[in-house]
Amino acid sequence: MISREAVEAISARTGEPVWMREQRLAAWGVYESLPLPDPTQEEWRRTDISGLRLDALRALVDGTGPVAAALPPRAAALAGGEERAGLLVQRDGRTVQHVLDEAAQRQGVLFLDLDQAVRQAPDLVREHFLSVIRPDELKFRALHAALRTGGTFLYVPPGVEVTLPLVTSTWLNTPGAGLFPHTLLVAGEGSKVTFLDVFGSDGMSRQTVVSNAAELILRDGAQVRYVAFQDWGANVWEFGLIRARLGRDAALHSLIVAFGGSLVKTDIESKLEGPGSQSEMLGLYFGDGTQHFDFHTLQEHLAPHTLSDLLYKGAVKDRARTVFAGLIRVHPGGQKTNAFQSNRNLILNTGAKSDSIPKLEIMANDLRCTHGSATSRLNDEHLFYLMSRGLTRRQAVQMVVDGFFAEVFDRVPLPRLGEQMQQEIGRKIAEL
Amino acid sequence: MDLEIRDLHVQVEEKVILKGVNLTVNKGEVHALMGPNGSGKSTLANVLMGNPFYQVMQGDVLYKGEDLLAMAPDERARKGLFIAFQYPVAIPGVTMASFLRTAVSARRGYSKELIPVGEFQKILRAKIEELKMDPAITGRYINEGFSGGEKKRAEILQMALLEPEIAIMDETDSGLDIDSVKIVADGVNRMFDAAKGQMGILVITHYSRVLHYIKPDYVHVIFDGRLVVSGGAELAEELERSGYEGIKSQVDVIHSEVAASGAVRRAGKVFWVVH
Ligand SMILES: Nc1ncnc2c1ncn2[C@@H]1O[C@H](COP(=O)(O)OP(=O)(O)OP(=O)(O)O)[C@@H](O)[C@H]1O
Ligand SMILES: [Mg+2]
Repeated sequence: MISREAVEAISARTGEPVWMREQRLAAWGVYESLPLPDPTQEEWRRTDISGLRLDALRALVDGTGPVAAALPPRAAALAGGEERAGLLVQRDGRTVQHVLDEAAQRQGVLFLDLDQAVRQAPDLVREHFLSVIRPDELKFRALHAALRTGGTFLYVPPGVEVTLPLVTSTWLNTPGAGLFPHTLLVAGEGSKVTFLDVFGSDGMSRQTVVSNAAELILRDGAQVRYVAFQDWGANVWEFGLIRARLGRDAALHSLIVAFGGSLVKTDIESKLEGPGSQSEMLGLYFGDGTQHFDFHTLQEHLAPHTLSDLLYKGAVKDRARTVFAGLIRVHPGGQKTNAFQSNRNLILNTGAKSDSIPKLEIMANDLRCTHGSATSRLNDEHLFYLMSRGLTRRQAVQMVVDGFFAEVFDRVPLPRLGEQMQQEIGRKIAEL
Repeated sequence: MDLEIRDLHVQVEEKVILKGVNLTVNKGEVHALMGPNGSGKSTLANVLMGNPFYQVMQGDVLYKGEDLLAMAPDERARKGLFIAFQYPVAIPGVTMASFLRTAVSARRGYSKELIPVGEFQKILRAKIEELKMDPAITGRYINEGFSGGEKKRAEILQMALLEPEIAIMDETDSGLDIDSVKIVADGVNRMFDAAKGQMGILVITHYSRVLHYIKPDYVHVIFDGRLVVSGGAELAEELERSGYEGIKSQVDVIHSEVAASGAVRRAGKVFWVVH
């Protein structure tokens, strides 16, 4: 079970420095002192977590060193076929595979299991770890900080460009466990990198909880493409946070893909701190069965001449439900900014439901800002047209849905990932 | 008989549009269907393809001896029925190339996988060239942002790729410029000839011009949901000269006589069979 003792055991296992151990224990204290989110609060109103049993979670404390255990084929497939400069595969928070191109190594790129990074590059990690996210923001963040195992540390030195993507595949294996993966990405000044954060599991026999966090730090002029692709099995509950800080003229392209899990509540935030910084925020999700997805996004403009451009598209089927709540916040310092937000949902049958809640907090007066949301149903005329050319209804639906998502696919230059998404979408539609 | 429409009554929502249509189209034949706006031409085309928006109230349609109305639209298409729509819909995000490849695969009986890309590309390139189309069209989304003429040509491209046994062209000539009408008509004639008697065509049109290129064996006139006149190619010319007024007055005569006595009537060229 999760407990203070479990925190200590994990800390002892990884052989981490004292500061990190103390950080964990402090976070545990915060976890114990904080209540669960209040269901009457606007942010949690649409997501019912009364069935959550944190006390019953198993802590992943066992064993030391890398595990050699074979991964199920699906876990390997999940890592995707994209040509890549490095791969890190973790199972239940422990590394099972790790490779990094020699070229990238020579350029000084660090791409490591976070536990290993704490030992190998302690100063870099200490400077950045939990600098973007605070444990006391939310009970789930505190839990994450206390019980984190594994995760990724990616450091790209100033001026270095890594052309091929780096990939971490995080596989969850133990039913009833709590998994707390952390991504710490530091892109130095003028550097360039693409990172794919892939998550998955088989269906779980009982409630299994993931509270993941990603801190993306983009120094001045850094260009980062970040993709989070999740395909959890049934009974997985995810409480995630992806937060980026952008320096002057930095550019982030993010894509969040959500297919799996029973209940997913993920926050995706971009803080545009440097003048001229830009954040493209893309989202693609498809809920079926009784899945519940809740995305809260934040486009926070703190500096002038910043740009955020958000497009989230989702499909829902069966009795699934999705929530999108997007906030654009422009601070007084955020003059001459452009902020765009668009959420589109496609409902495949009656019984499925999508909510879309755009919000604005504008404290500047010289800016351009648009937001829009639309929810539509499958268009019978489209289906008839396709079927009149011989496509079965299923093929026609798949085509219309792929077409609906094309706007997102087309903006991500990772063809294999696109295929992977299409396959997953096809699998979900097959059950229509 | 390849397509036999018998006493077809169709309504949309509460409105009766087809009021007893009888028509037979065989392979190897070219038929033309003319009639005023709103007389039910597109309704007939759509109902033959199985558009769920239209309800068949009465009558039947046999296609190659089978009950066409019992089939889903995709089954009709796979069995060789085709419609070039008057108003093709745009489908965002779906490229012509992937749509056409899936459609060709379906028509050619691939059930699991699709027709190999190379083979498909070859066929597609040839047809695009025949119809003098811009190859870039294959990368565009279905009908999205197509000009009126491009849409019509894209319909004929689909017809060429799917090699139908019975093809209905709903006002394909409207919206095409003079040269394009000829290109499209040439394309259709090539398909017809290549099919060696294994293809029948129903051309719905308002203008005799296209019928100079695609020569009909029969011309039919639909009026207020009924076929009221059938004749040879010369009927199209005659209609274009005289308009539908003459037919309308003849129909009115019959209408009153039928109302009085209920029988098979004829007034001038117009006939009316009461069922
Ligand atoms: N969706 C609809 N809702 C209501 N009425 C409809 C609908 N579709 C067709 N109609 C009506 O049915 C009648 C026949 O329409 P149809 O499109 O078949 O005519 P048409 O002969 O093809 O005309 P045109 O020459 O203008 O293309 C018209 O009065 C039309 O308004
Ligand atoms: Mg019409």
